[in-house]
Amino acid sequence: MKKKLLSVLLVASMVATMFVGCGSSSSSDSASDATTATEEGAADAAASDKKIAMITDSGDITDMSFNQTTYEASKAFAEKNGVDFQYYKPTEDSDDARVASFENAVTDGYNVIIVPGYLFAGMIAQVAEDYPNVTIIALDCSEGDFQGAGMDTLPENVCSFTYQEELAGYMAGYAAVKEGYTKLGFLGGMAVPAVIRYGFGFVQGCNDAAVELGNASDVAVNYVYGGQFYGDDAITAQMDTWYSNGTEIVFACGGGIYTSACEAATKPGVDGKVIGVDVDQSGTIENAYGVKGLCVTSAMKGLAATVDATLTDVFAGNWANYSGKIENLGIVSGTDPSLNYVQLPMDGWTMTNFTVDDYKALVAAMNDGTVKVSNSTDAMPSTEIKVTEFDNIH
Amino acid sequence: MEDYVIEMLHITKEFPGIIANDDITLQLKRGEIHALLGENGAGKSTLMSVLFGLYTPEKGVIKKDGKEVKINNPNDATDLGIGMVHQHFMLVDIFTVLDNIILGSEPSKFGFLTKAEARKKVIDLSNKYNLKVDPDAMIEDITVGMQQRVEILKMLYRDNDILIFDEPTAVLTPQEIEELMKIMKDLAAEGKSILFITHKLNEIMEVDDRCSILRKGKYIGTVDVKNTTKEELSSMMVGRNVKFAVDKEEAKPTDEVLKVENVCVKSKLHSNDAVHNVSFNVRAGEIVCIAGIDGNGQTEFVGALTGLDDISSGKITLCGEDITKKSIRYKNTHGMSHIPEDRHKHGLVLDYTLEENMILQRYFEPEFSKHGIIKKADMRKYSDRLTQAFDVRSGQGAKTIVRSMSGGNQQKAIVAREMDRQHELLIAVQPTRGLDVGAIEYIHKEIVKERDAGKAILLVSLELDEVMNLSDRILVMYEGEIVGEVDPKKTTLQELGLYMSGAKRDDRKEAK
Amino acid sequence: MEKTSFFKRPAVQTLLASVLCAVLGIVLGYIILCFMNAEHAGEGMAAILTNFFKYRIASTNTLMKYMGSFLVKSVPVILCAEAILFAYKAGLFNIGVAGQYTVGIIASLYTSLALGWNWALCILAAIVAGAVWGFIAGCFKAFFNVNEVIAGIMLNWIGLYICNIILGGAKCMNQSKSETYEISDVNPSGLLPGFMQDFFGGNQYMTIAIPITVIVAIIILVVLNKTTFGYELKATGHNKEAAKYSGMNAKRNIILTLVISGAIAGMAAGLYYLTGVEHFKIASSVPGMGFSGIAVAFLGGLHPIGAIIAGLFVEYITLGGQYLNTNYYNPQVADLMISIIIYLCGFVLFFRTILNRPGKVKVNANAEPAKPADKAEEKEV
Repeated sequence: MKKKLLSVLLVASMVATMFVGCGSSSSSDSASDATTATEEGAADAAASDKKIAMITDSGDITDMSFNQTTYEASKAFAEKNGVDFQYYKPTEDSDDARVASFENAVTDGYNVIIVPGYLFAGMIAQVAEDYPNVTIIALDCSEGDFQGAGMDTLPENVCSFTYQEELAGYMAGYAAVKEGYTKLGFLGGMAVPAVIRYGFGFVQGCNDAAVELGNASDVAVNYVYGGQFYGDDAITAQMDTWYSNGTEIVFACGGGIYTSACEAATKPGVDGKVIGVDVDQSGTIENAYGVKGLCVTSAMKGLAATVDATLTDVFAGNWANYSGKIENLGIVSGTDPSLNYVQLPMDGWTMTNFTVDDYKALVAAMNDGTVKVSNSTDAMPSTEIKVTEFDNIH
Repeated sequence: MEDYVIEMLHITKEFPGIIANDDITLQLKRGEIHALLGENGAGKSTLMSVLFGLYTPEKGVIKKDGKEVKINNPNDATDLGIGMVHQHFMLVDIFTVLDNIILGSEPSKFGFLTKAEARKKVIDLSNKYNLKVDPDAMIEDITVGMQQRVEILKMLYRDNDILIFDEPTAVLTPQEIEELMKIMKDLAAEGKSILFITHKLNEIMEVDDRCSILRKGKYIGTVDVKNTTKEELSSMMVGRNVKFAVDKEEAKPTDEVLKVENVCVKSKLHSNDAVHNVSFNVRAGEIVCIAGIDGNGQTEFVGALTGLDDISSGKITLCGEDITKKSIRYKNTHGMSHIPEDRHKHGLVLDYTLEENMILQRYFEPEFSKHGIIKKADMRKYSDRLTQAFDVRSGQGAKTIVRSMSGGNQQKAIVAREMDRQHELLIAVQPTRGLDVGAIEYIHKEIVKERDAGKAILLVSLELDEVMNLSDRILVMYEGEIVGEVDPKKTTLQELGLYMSGAKRDDRKEAK
Repeated sequence: MEKTSFFKRPAVQTLLASVLCAVLGIVLGYIILCFMNAEHAGEGMAAILTNFFKYRIASTNTLMKYMGSFLVKSVPVILCAEAILFAYKAGLFNIGVAGQYTVGIIASLYTSLALGWNWALCILAAIVAGAVWGFIAGCFKAFFNVNEVIAGIMLNWIGLYICNIILGGAKCMNQSKSETYEISDVNPSGLLPGFMQDFFGGNQYMTIAIPITVIVAIIILVVLNKTTFGYELKATGHNKEAAKYSGMNAKRNIILTLVISGAIAGMAAGLYYLTGVEHFKIASSVPGMGFSGIAVAFLGGLHPIGAIIAGLFVEYITLGGQYLNTNYYNPQVADLMISIIIYLCGFVLFFRTILNRPGKVKVNANAEPAKPADKAEEKEV
């Protein structure tokens, strides 16, 4: 019994030291907390009072995709405007952890929170109404996502942006087939709506281009989801099979999954190509694999532009334009494609059969409604080209 | 002025709560054989560890050839020419004798072994001291006695002139012991000085020049062996007079308790039987002993008998009931008690307390448990009664962790437990192994008491003194078979030795 | 009776060794922080150690809520540690806890989401599933002498793939989110009943899992120390041969031990996933919970109550990482610290050995024998 008592005592002292450790720092902590509080109270309306934070989804800020783009755009804005900025990484991939990160950020005094990814709908549902003074800018959370989380309308302090990925996918597919590729592949990440839209748009684009070229019987698309947003051996193996069976180009659509496609494409004897996603990945990919022209083009959505534009408006006092809205961003200009929220990169254009002018013509046609792209995610679009669907790899 | 090669003067070594060596002086003359005698726990090992630099003494000095030296680690000891033959040999089984000898001080030129020189030196040494060792034999192929000689050669090869033998005769046959004694005398005659750790008085009387005695960490004295007697030595060692012969009446055997018929056990090492066609019986009121050199199937046989090992064929009957295929627990609860050969491996859970060990086979009985909960108070009471009755000494009574108890008291605890349990047959395997004279005397007395109380006793022992003194009938086991049955009153050690080494066998039961 | 010095007592030594590990881990963490950004290292360390107590100013309610989260998230790792130490006491290294935990996830979520069972039955299913997984490893060990570590590792992977197949199906997994459905949406009766939720700032995940964990630890303590079953298990663990000699049924005990250990691991999964705090996502590696459990068990000195404290400590540091200022530090520093602490757990025994070293102290190797006098003086001072 004595032993047990003793162990309890010792443990208690251990815990005590732990807290003494923080005790010494707590005074300074509380002081800074207090100052933050007063500042908040004093100048509520002033824009300069705003502080920006970002919370990562399941990935990290080095994912060369979604999180990284959002992070870099937010950080660039913050530095340009001399605003406090920090990112938060939840301890795990769960709503609970995301809520914890949010409350942590708010406690640290951040009041403009940027959250990239459909995963955040659940978190927003839990915290938005409790923190009416905190502005939440969500990227990629669709109406469906919010409804899934039990929110039919968004509170005033929230806005969300979704993208017409099917348009970007369509452009990429159209461009690739017009460029002369006939054996194509689509490698999605997880089968989430955004990825599906990219994929179905890609298939539609390929089909329409082939029909126009009159070689629909020659064009074939392999279609698969990796089941995760990063490459691994199993996915690389699948890509190896594709490329060695004649696939010329793969649209690697999902975060870091491009590594598998690139590895397979650059194996000896294979002269494969890839198409990037979300941002212009050509630089990243060419640097990583040392093969010029490996990444033919990228199906981009204007994450950085959205972040920058929205933050600019928020700091200019124009929050009302966004408050409570879900904006579905797509093509806004038929004449200047670079203004659009979905596009192909025009800097460093490498395609020769499908030129920048052809691209501009395509955008114009899409803008004026001559070209229609379905955004349904229910079933694979019916096509004249051959589409082979594979089972999810993971 | 005496010519001392090593002097350990006024050595004191304390451990927390105990003084292991209290002002001990040991002086070894050049060319003598000097015995270090003492009970277990008397401080012999501590003293040797001090000499080898494993412990640093609090007080005292060590002198080599009259000059004070510091021994901080075993390498220092080696440099001073001190070598030791350990009780458990430090040999690599799959190496040759020569490789084992040069191991650790391999002769080499430019990184290549140069064995030729080493071989010549080993052969010369072997011839000089009449060791008859074949340098190319594999260690695993030679006898234990030969292995010991390899250990001796190892010391000689390193030019050690102070040789320590730590209980070297425990594993040898009487013939081998005789030869070892001769070798030791030859070594001494060549000017080597020998320190001989033992508690076998016969051997001291035969080979030693002088003997230093330790008791309970204290130095008792040094005597010239030729001026003393066994009785005097033993009373110096234990502090009182000890009887050597076991007092016992003629056995009056009655009913047959244990009957063993044609028992065979497969060997784990080779394809032959480890135990082959063993048949005998043990009656109530007699002590039957299985004698033999270690490794001739005794362990396997006892394993089969008690259920620790599988039996491949044959039949075992206990009190008229066939128990060949019964579980250990069934045997435990139906009249079989077993003092195991290896008390640490089988007999005790060393990290359990004394009281927990006392109920090792009985914890589930209603006396000690109720609804699956152990009745701690009853366990304590029982343990206290046994420890008192059998004089088991321990630091903290029933709560003592058995690991911290001395070997003798551990053994006594097992003896107490096994004798107190309900039983008709007591299987005692090496019940006095590693114990001192006092404890041996006690355990022998208890075993005889058991016999006189009408129990059947099966004794398995490697100690010939014990075999001769204690048993009423002797069965000799050689290579897994019973090769002879002798009456201890009508036989001699020499005859037993011949049976044990396979040189002689009765063809009594091999007709089948 | 001799008085043993305070620092020689096994219980004290175990504790000292564990505390040493923890402190050393924190110190090394601090050094790493210093390397990354020396200027803010103190602040960073304070953030980790202050942890969710940073909310104490803002709102007691929030503080209590995160205290609750902390407890909820500690449950599985503590129970996994209990499972491991229970088997360890019987001399079995149940590395299969990870797999038993995984099948516990399958059973609890499938029964809850696909079958719509009540929470009590779901927990029971998780326990049975873990027990069956332990039983398989136990049979391999008992009847074919297959090392439980090998069998356990194999079963871990088998469990993982079965889990991916079953829970990846449409009945359990929300395909559009790639994680299992919310139990609260599909089958509210499958959620564990709440426990002191109001006290813990309305934390919806505070459930009876917390008191059950404590009760399980106490039961393990009692079973190990008071019952004949515990007596047998520990005897087997300390000395298998002696257990056999005394007539204990080794095969039965091996199987039973792994069954119980597996049941605890399965229960750990049930008590975590049925709170709704976590969803299963298709995984390409076995959940780390079972492996963290090993470290926690050792850090806790292989004592059922020690495991609770060690589990809380490890979870506390894990959660602490998110409070680091990401402008200076990568939040994974906390994971690094935990890794170091876990690594150091391997040294618990080593530290004990150091504390235990007998009189062989090298200090006075060259000293004259007259030293004891000095020593006595030192003692008086």
